[in-house]
Amino acid sequence: MTSVNAVTQDGIRKTVREFILSSINITQLDDDDNLFESGIVNSLFAVQLMTFIEKTFAIEVEMDDLDIENFKSLSATTAFVVRKNGRRSG
Amino acid sequence: MQHLLTERQKARHAEFKDFVALHVEPFAETWDREQSIPDDVISRLAHAGFLGSSLPPDYGGQGWDIVTFGLLNEAFGKGSSSLTGVLTVQAMVSMALLKWGTEEQKATWLPPLAKGEMLAAFALTEPGAGSDIQSLVTEFTKSSKGDFLILNGHKKWISCAQFAGIFLVFGKLEQRSLACLVREGTPGLDVEPIHDLMGFRSAGLAQLTFNNVEVPLANVVAKPGFALSHVAPVGLQFGRISTACSGLGLLRGCFEESIAHAAVRRVGDKTVGEIGMIRSLIARMGTDLEAGSFLCHNACRTEQDHVPEAFEKTLAAKHFTSRAAVRAANDAVQIRGASGCHASSPVSRYYRDAKIMEIIEGTTQVHEDVLGKIFVDRAGRLGK
Repeated sequence: MTSVNAVTQDGIRKTVREFILSSINITQLDDDDNLFESGIVNSLFAVQLMTFIEKTFAIEVEMDDLDIENFKSLSATTAFVVRKNGRRSG
Repeated sequence: MQHLLTERQKARHAEFKDFVALHVEPFAETWDREQSIPDDVISRLAHAGFLGSSLPPDYGGQGWDIVTFGLLNEAFGKGSSSLTGVLTVQAMVSMALLKWGTEEQKATWLPPLAKGEMLAAFALTEPGAGSDIQSLVTEFTKSSKGDFLILNGHKKWISCAQFAGIFLVFGKLEQRSLACLVREGTPGLDVEPIHDLMGFRSAGLAQLTFNNVEVPLANVVAKPGFALSHVAPVGLQFGRISTACSGLGLLRGCFEESIAHAAVRRVGDKTVGEIGMIRSLIARMGTDLEAGSFLCHNACRTEQDHVPEAFEKTLAAKHFTSRAAVRAANDAVQIRGASGCHASSPVSRYYRDAKIMEIIEGTTQVHEDVLGKIFVDRAGRLGK
């Protein structure tokens, strides 16, 4: 089923992917690549990624959201943004 | 750069400069010599709202935008780098807590910080861990019942630690980074003043020793594992903005002292300002001042707009103004000659304080390493 949510999720994934690829010197990023364990990004980038998704998707990453599972990969970050948006609109 | 400011920002900058001219500049040399800042000076800052400038009004702060915060630090940077350090550290702790504190922590700590009823210190640096914050060895362990934490370790070069009522302390719990609030006076916490620094002599630096200090779990800020990746960077970002703008203020002080001297001091039938070599020094200083103003404004604007580029822009601003301040202070002493080597002229203090700017909130070399990587990586991406 191609729902509005699925389209939105694809859009979020694309936007986040473009940001990471424009920020980090890599050519390819798979959806489930572990950003931090693989060394694709360093800890300095963590706050920039957080700032980007806060600004772009008008959400706020809060203390309770601090879980590496939320940001470990492109898929995880996308799912996190979808959940935060859903929580806000719900 | 004035044309980039709003009327309100211009008016506030003028107010800040008036405050500094009246309440800071005439006394900065005495504070420097005595290596202390009187309590009534801190009270005056608090009363003016300067210690809670960026905190929201809901917590008793002024809610000023980041550009205004930068202008505040610029104005104070001309008067006293040491006193500006109080603004720096208060913002570092307050803004880290605003972002990552629990509602209870924010309700408890932010109002007294905003009103200046309590001063804070950012306890990150250790004897063996400066710019390399991953090397921290300060350790938190869980109590036998797990109902509180036990803190052991040392912190060094902690600005404002002599004045602070609360410390935001960074360490490790089971190899994961952790940040905690520790009250001054907690049993096992020893605050030992550090005297006889080259610059920042009245900034209240101290060494902290934690000897089995009991910390309530309610004082943990954010979650274990995120202290160095998320909590510290928020504070350090404000620290770099403040230091960049403070360095800019010091640079302005050097420039204004130099042109004032050059206009009246005579050598033979000429003023100093009519000598080409002196004009060159002043031209470089004035150009650096102009460039630094734009870099600082850009850093503040990007932080205000909450965009990822704020990190890079702030590094660049701090890197530039701290180095430019060192050059300007060196030249300002040269232009003043013997009188610039004496405490009766602020340029001698500027000369000592400027060097500190290149070290605090990340050394010039660390900034160059990070910025260089950013620029090279960008070039790599563009080449693909």
